[in-house]
Formats: sequence, C-alpha cells, structure tokens
Amino acid sequence: MAPSAADDLSLPHISDNDLKPFFVLHKGSTRQQHIKKSVGSTSRNVKVNLSSSLAASHEAEVVGDQLHENLRMKNFHNAWVKIESTIKDVLHNINADVFNEIDGWVHKSFGAICSSGKPDTNKATCSYPIVTDVTAKQIFTALVVMNNMEFVDDLQTFADLGIHLQSHGCHVANLSSVDFSAKNGIGGCLKSLSRQILKGSIDAADISILASWYMEQENSKQPVVVIVEDMDRCSGPVLSDFILMLSEWVIKIPVLLILGVATTLDAPKSVLSSKAVQHLSPFKFFLGSPADRLDAVIEAVLVKPCSGFLVGHKVAAFIRNCFLRQDGTLTSLVRAVKMAIVQHFLMEPLSFTVKGLLDEEVTQSGEPTSLAEACPKQALDLPSCMRILSEPKTEALLGGASKMKEFLNLWSCVVLCLYDAGKNQKATLLDLYYEALDPKLYNLRHSEYLESQPDSQRPSSNHGLHGQSFRNKGGLIGHTIRQVRDLPPAALFQLLEKWIKQTDGVNEIHEKVKELQLQEKFEDDNLKEPANRSRRQTIRNNGNLDKRTKELNQKAAALISSMAREHMQPIECIPFHEIVCFKNVDKLQAALLGDPRRRFQLDLLECHSFLKCSCCSKSCNVPISSMHDTTLMYTLAQEHGDLINLHDWYQSFRSIIFQRPVKERHRSKSSPSPKKRKTTTEPQNITEASVQARFCRAVTELQITGLLRMPSKRRPDYVQRVAFGL
Amino acid sequence: MEDNDIDEEEFEFSRNYFLAKESGKSGKKSARKISEIDLVDEQDLRAEVSNIEPKHEKEIASLINSYKSLYNEWVFELRYGFGLLMYGFGSKKTLLEDFASTALTEYNVIVVNGYLQSINLKQVAMAMAEVLWDELKMQPRSTSGGLLKDQQPFNSRSMDDLIAFLDGPHAAENECLVCLVIHNIDGPGLRDSDTQHLLARIAACSHVRVVASMDHVNAPLLWDKKMVHVQFNWCWHHVPTFAPYKIEGVFHPLILAHGGTSQSVKTASIVLQSLTPNAQSVFKVLAQHQLAHPDEEGMGIDALFTSCRERFLVSSLVTLNSHLTEFKDHELVKIRRHSDGQDCLYIPLSKDALEKLQLDL
Repeated sequence: MAPSAADDLSLPHISDNDLKPFFVLHKGSTRQQHIKKSVGSTSRNVKVNLSSSLAASHEAEVVGDQLHENLRMKNFHNAWVKIESTIKDVLHNINADVFNEIDGWVHKSFGAICSSGKPDTNKATCSYPIVTDVTAKQIFTALVVMNNMEFVDDLQTFADLGIHLQSHGCHVANLSSVDFSAKNGIGGCLKSLSRQILKGSIDAADISILASWYMEQENSKQPVVVIVEDMDRCSGPVLSDFILMLSEWVIKIPVLLILGVATTLDAPKSVLSSKAVQHLSPFKFFLGSPADRLDAVIEAVLVKPCSGFLVGHKVAAFIRNCFLRQDGTLTSLVRAVKMAIVQHFLMEPLSFTVKGLLDEEVTQSGEPTSLAEACPKQALDLPSCMRILSEPKTEALLGGASKMKEFLNLWSCVVLCLYDAGKNQKATLLDLYYEALDPKLYNLRHSEYLESQPDSQRPSSNHGLHGQSFRNKGGLIGHTIRQVRDLPPAALFQLLEKWIKQTDGVNEIHEKVKELQLQEKFEDDNLKEPANRSRRQTIRNNGNLDKRTKELNQKAAALISSMAREHMQPIECIPFHEIVCFKNVDKLQAALLGDPRRRFQLDLLECHSFLKCSCCSKSCNVPISSMHDTTLMYTLAQEHGDLINLHDWYQSFRSIIFQRPVKERHRSKSSPSPKKRKTTTEPQNITEASVQARFCRAVTELQITGLLRMPSKRRPDYVQRVAFGL
Repeated sequence: MEDNDIDEEEFEFSRNYFLAKESGKSGKKSARKISEIDLVDEQDLRAEVSNIEPKHEKEIASLINSYKSLYNEWVFELRYGFGLLMYGFGSKKTLLEDFASTALTEYNVIVVNGYLQSINLKQVAMAMAEVLWDELKMQPRSTSGGLLKDQQPFNSRSMDDLIAFLDGPHAAENECLVCLVIHNIDGPGLRDSDTQHLLARIAACSHVRVVASMDHVNAPLLWDKKMVHVQFNWCWHHVPTFAPYKIEGVFHPLILAHGGTSQSVKTASIVLQSLTPNAQSVFKVLAQHQLAHPDEEGMGIDALFTSCRERFLVSSLVTLNSHLTEFKDHELVKIRRHSDGQDCLYIPLSKDALEKLQLDL
C-alpha cells in the first residue's frame, strides 16, 4: 500500500530522487582539487567563518584570519599526527614482549611440524588428504588472553600482531567473529581465509586450492598463521568445523591458530565441541591489562605535553567518568581526546599560535616564538592573562610561552613522581591526573601553604590539613603522600631511584631528590655493616635504624609534598593556557554522546526556545493553538498515562486548535473538557478534515521519533507512550 | 555527590514510569472509540494531509539557516575521520542535502533514502565504487598506477571486493572521498542488524565518509561499541529543525484512516457488495444474530444453517459452506471454539461498526 500512497499526485515537493533508494547527488569537482592541494588539506571553497570573534571589517584582517585559519588547521594536523603516533608507539611498546614471545612460538611450532615430514606434491594435491595417525592432526594453538571484556580495544592489537608476524615471515590471515557466523557457515570463514592468504584473487571457498598454493616452492617455507580476534563471540559449531577441517589438512598446510579469548582460558571448552578441542594443542599468552595500557597512554599523551594540546580539569573529569562509568574502553578514551582536539582547534581562534609554543625544536632553532610576534593583542585579552598584567605587556608575552613550557614540565614531572609513589597502592594515573589538574585544589593548597610556612618542618600536621582538603575530593594526592611515609626502606630506595630518573632535566627538583638519595645510601651502608655484630646490638641498632628510616621517610614525604605544593601548577592556572588547553566540556560531551531520548523530548516540549517565535513563547508550556502541531500533541500526551486514548487525545487537540488565539482565556491544561470547548466559536477556515489531517501527521511524526507505539489489534483505540520523563 | 545524582535520576525515571502506569489504571480510563470521531473519508484525509498549512515557516527557515554557520565545522570533522550523526526533531532531509551540495562540492556525494522500505546496499556500494573509480582515473598516473590495470566491472564483484576497493590506499596528497549521505539511518529499510553491520563496514573504509540523520530515540541500540567507536566514529550534532517529515511520513499509515473501524466497514461493504444477494443475506443473518446476542461467543454453524434454510437462502450445507469459505477468505467471518466445544462463527467487527455495515447493505 505504501507505493500507492507515494504515487498519489497530490503530494507536493516529492521529487524522483526522493523515491529512489539512492542517487548520486554530485561528483567531486575536479576543478577545485588543484586549488585545494596548494593550501594544505583544508577546504577553501566554503567561506571560512570560524573565527567569528575576530571577524572584523578590515580586509587585511580578513586575510590575516585566513592565514590564521590555515595555520590552525595545520597545527591541528600536526598535533593529531603526533598524538596518534605517540599512542601507537606506546601500545606497540606494551605489546612488544608478548608479540616476540608469540613470534618465537610460531617458528618453534612450525619447526616441529616440518620435522614430522612433508608429503610430496602428488599426494598433497589429491582431493582428500592422506589420513595418518591421530597425533599428527594436532593444531598448535596460541590462546591469547586479553584480560578484557571489551574486544574493541584489542582489534588493533591483533591487527598489529598480524603485521608483526607477517614481517617475520609468516602468511597471516586475520579473521573475526563476523567470519564465523552461523549464517554464512564454514564457507564464510574459508572464503575470508583464502581471500587474505591468496591476496584476493580467488573467491571460491575450497581448501584444496589453498593446499596447492602452499605447495608452491616459495610459499612452503613459511608457516600459515590464522588469527581469530574474538573467539568468545564466534559461532561455536562453525569454529569447531573449521578447526576439524584444518586438522585434517594440517600436514599439507601447517596452520597455526591464534585465538583471542576475553578473560578465561576455559573459553575453547565452552565454545567448541569436544572433538574440536581434542585437536588443539594449546599454549597461553597474556596481553597487558587494560588499566596498564590506559595509564601508559595517559602518561604519554596527556601528562607529558607531547603535542601542544592539553585538556582542562573538567574535560579530564568527563573523560574519566566516561571511562569509569560508561564505556571502559581505551578506544573511547582515544576517541574523546581526538574529539577534544578537533573541537579545540575549531573553537579557539588563537590556537594558530600553538606551534612554537610547546614545540621545542622551533624555539631551539632560534626562531622567535610565534606567539610573541603573531598576535599580541588578542592573547593579552585572554582571561588568564588579566591577572598578570602588572608586568610590561611585551615581556609578559615573550615570557609567556617559555614560562608555560617550564610550568608544564614541572607539573608533569611531579605528577609522574606521585604516580611512581602511588603505584604500590594501585593508584591509577587517570585518577591522579584528574586530581592534579584541579585548579581549585591548587589554589587552596597554595594559600594554606603560605600561611603554614614555618611548619614545613612538621609535615605531619601539614598533611593533616591538606589531607582534609584532599580528602574532600577523593584525596588521592594526599593519600599518596602519606603513604610515602610508611614505605619500607627497600621500597623507598626504589622510589628514589625512580624519582631520580623522572626528574632528570628538571633542575629544581632533581637536586633535592639526589640529596635525599645520598642520605638514603648512607643509611643503607649502615644497615649492611652490623651483619656480624651481636644480636642485642643488632636489635638496638634496628631500633635506631627504624627511627632513622622513619626520618628518611618523613623527609621524602616532605619533599614530594612540597613538590606538589610548589610545582604542580595545573594548566588552568598558567597564563595563556587557553591557547593550548581545551576546557569546553559541554561541547565535547554533546559531540561524543548524543542523548537522543532526552533531546528529542526536550525539542518537543520546549520547541519555542528553538523556534523563537513571538506567538508561543509567552504561553510557557500551556498548550495553545499556535504551537507546532506535533509539539502540541506531545505536550497533551504528557497528561495521559502509559496508554493514550486516541479519541480523547484527538478531542483535546481539536479543542485547542479551535480555541480563539486572541482571547486570553488561560484555562489550566488540566481540564480539557472537550464538549465545552466545542461550543466556542470556531475560526472559519479550519475544517474538520484539516484537523484530522494534522492529527494524523502529528501522530505519524511521533511514531517516526519512536516516542509512540501504534495501536495493536488488542487495543485498537489506544497508542502507547514509550518515554516517561526525560 | 554524582552517585547521588545518578540514583536520583534513576529513581525519577522509574517513578515517572510507575506514575504513568498508575494514572492509566486508576484514572477514569477512557473507553472512547476512534469510531466516535466523525471521521472524514480516507481520500479526503490524504488530500488534506498533503495540504496542511505550515506553521512557523519563517522561524523554521531561519532555524535551518542558522545551521549554515556550522557547515565549516562539519566539513572539518568529516575530513578528519568522524562520521556526522544529525539528530533532533524535524526532518533533516533538506538540511543534509543543502550541506552536501554547498559544503561538500569537492567530494563525491551519494544520497541514500533510508526512509524507504527496502534498500539494496550492494547497489549503493557499487555506485560508490564507480564514482570513486571515475575520480581515481582522473588522477595523475603516478599516484594511482597499480590500480588501473586489474579492473573488472563492478557489478560482477562481490561485496567484499567492493569494500576492499573503497578501503584502498590514499594517494599521498590528494584525498578522493565518497560521502554517503544517509537520510534516516534508522529507517525501515536499514533497520536490521545485518544492514547496519554492512553500513558500518562501508563507513570504516578509507575513501568513505558518512553523514547520517537519525530520528528514532532508540536508534543507538542498533550499534555495538565497535561500530560506534571504530567504524562509524560518530560525532553527534543536535540539529532540531521542526520541519515536517513529509516524505519520511508518506510510508506510514494514517492513524485515522487505516486499521480504524471506518476502514474495515468500508472494505467489508465493498466485499459484500461484490457477492450474490443470497450470500449478502446469509451475512445479514449472522450479523443480526450477533447484534441480538452481544454476549454470546458466536453462532453455531447448525443454527446458522437452520435459520438460513428457513428463509430460503440456502438449500444445503454445501452451499452454506461455500458462502462461508468466501467470507472467511475475506476475513469477514471468523471461527472460534465455543465454550461447550462447538465451533461457532462470528464477525470480527465492533457493534457500532456492524450497525453501520448493516445500514450500508
């Protein structure tokens, strides 16, 4: 019936294209491609109007804006490329050990298979393989435990593993659960396998083709590795069949299986048939835990300013919440960072100066920081600069960039020191990072520090105070500092070693840490000396030692706490931070997580705030006839329970439509007594049919949004509400 | 604090639900019927629907225009690998097509009308591949060298091949993109999970960018994490337009026209008028019985046969059965088991519908 309705000629504005399933709107115009190339990769044909705040009447300024715009896009590109490659490197380093282990296993197993003898070409190409004894039908299988329920994060890992093995002389095929679906059966995975191994030339699902390909001289020297990314999600019977089939052919095609399992090693038993399990000879490998990976990525990307892009405290909070509460995947975190960086360069007009601000190579090569020369005026208007305007302006500008870099280095250094200290207590960098970014906490800490300066010799009382202020917010930093005091000597020694490494290049802190380490060493020597003394002495000495190590602990704690107080200046407290720091959390959230259920309803209930018409905004949600029909209907629907009687709904809709808009009879919406309203004089141009048509269309529109369920056979006179509350 | 907020929110949500349930039950649950409305003829209704006088035309136009300032932003996001997902109340068809034809002129754009009932994605992929192929051919030979040789017509290729082609490597400094503009990605033609998986695979290709509109509040349930984060990589944009869903709504039945009693009375009378007068009379007997005994479950075949024979309408059970088969085929009459175990006949229409029908005959 639908097409017949569409054929109806009375429907206006429906073109041919609207009824085609798809059509080509236009092809890329080759004319513009040449222009496009010359200016980086930014589109020029659309009038650029991003820097609205700077849009001025002067033509020169417009040209300048264009230039800045280009610079911004370039900067974005550079920053993102840097971040992307940093993430890649980090993940690569984390996985490197496991990959090498797997690689070693692959070649060892291949050797084992080969040593059991290969059939000659004649035998191998016959239609069915020669059955030898059962033990020869074993498939060497690596179970790679991901320690992660979220397979999304490991898609890339397995892709990397494939590349790694390929570069080490293997034929690799990456299969996923999509290939092992019950719908496509064994043909699906076989097809996919031969596509990848034979490089797409043959589409037939026949393993004998694979076998004869393998017999070719140059191919047979390398093992064939089949990687199945997410075994838990595969269809069990299909995967079992696949394994059984491979085991039949294993002499001719020495296949090694790599199966990714989420958390448990029992997965093969639960997914596969017992017959298939018999043919596997499994080995286990473990990937790094997601938490470790997360911390490594945060350290490389967000704590160390690698790209000239940072996020503010609120954005960090959002990202942290996203990770902890909603998604828990590294992928979503990386996505959030990318989205943040896109938004930042789109919104911040001054972001074109990023290059040179945090980029060391440029400043070292003697080029003046572009911040100073490019746009001093606007930069001084940034709220973060208002505070330091006591200084001469140019000086502030010139110093701004280098100072910022200095501050940032100090900050990240302290955060990482804290992280080292907190590692034993399983403090995650994500939490620490989030807390260290809090400007409020920093300001608080600072004022308290100034007041209690004489007390700096007594860190304990100081900590009490701080502890409280930290505690209020979860207090991870305070907690970590306190824990330094309770560290056993060996752990303290290790910690100091780490700090030495961490603070290398940061002179302010490095010296102090070194000093402390010297004392520690001294103590350490004392500790070793009394090995041959009498027992009593040792005990007494131990008492002394305890005291002294306690002192050392105190000193270390005092050091880290003073580091935190003095040097851990969050990005949002640094002048000019707006240029590199993204703070608009609402924008980020809206772009990352649409909330259609809530938004659609808000659109309907508060339509006047979008349309800004003069007629409806006064009514403040009392339904009146001038409202958009669908929003009027949805407002009326709010008065009903989960079922809406169509007749009543229609009558109340009708009565509102027929209300005279001029007379301001503000009746409360709670008494839609239809009969009374019917008697009011009706505007003459509204016919009964048109009201019904409007009613129908509004219901259809609500149905499209999914906010209504249509009448069923059992309840022909009712529609059902789907959403209750926002 | 935040935990509390969430609890509060959840509590609010469930309370709203139960309040709604409650008010549905305890309140004077209205039992009015649609048939009580003085419904106009379906033909007229359809005509009226297409001629509804638009409200707030000016405001809607300026709202849609206000999004033009965002086009740059959108292009930027699109270029860097995000897919654009437009949502918010109102048809976004014109908005999307305007965006595509003003801001995406340097890319190939293919529009998919997801609101249609069925869409063949393979044909879409073929069209995309052809368009891309045309553009790659225009490139200087050095950048696309190897690709040119092994070409076979796209319509003989498998979906995997097409996707592999769309996912091909980029020439270094020149990006050839195919933008897929999908109206109603949650529409009836695209709503099933296989199609969405396929769409996601296409969206993940290096030469493909997706701009989609979404209108159903539960559409995100169509996607798993891999699709959302890796393949589609959505960037959400809330762009309510309040424009009428003209074309999108065409394929939905009008609530006051279909399924309502007026419709079934009408079809019933049309069917009956095409039958013989005797058959019509048999139906009348059954209708009268049903109206006279509204509480009974139906009329036994024997009873019907007796009363029809009394009126000289049928001479044998065979003739009656042939009439009944006709009725059953047109769903004018149904059979159900009587409480005493006997099969009985009834007309699946409400009392007032039946009265109307009798008047028509």
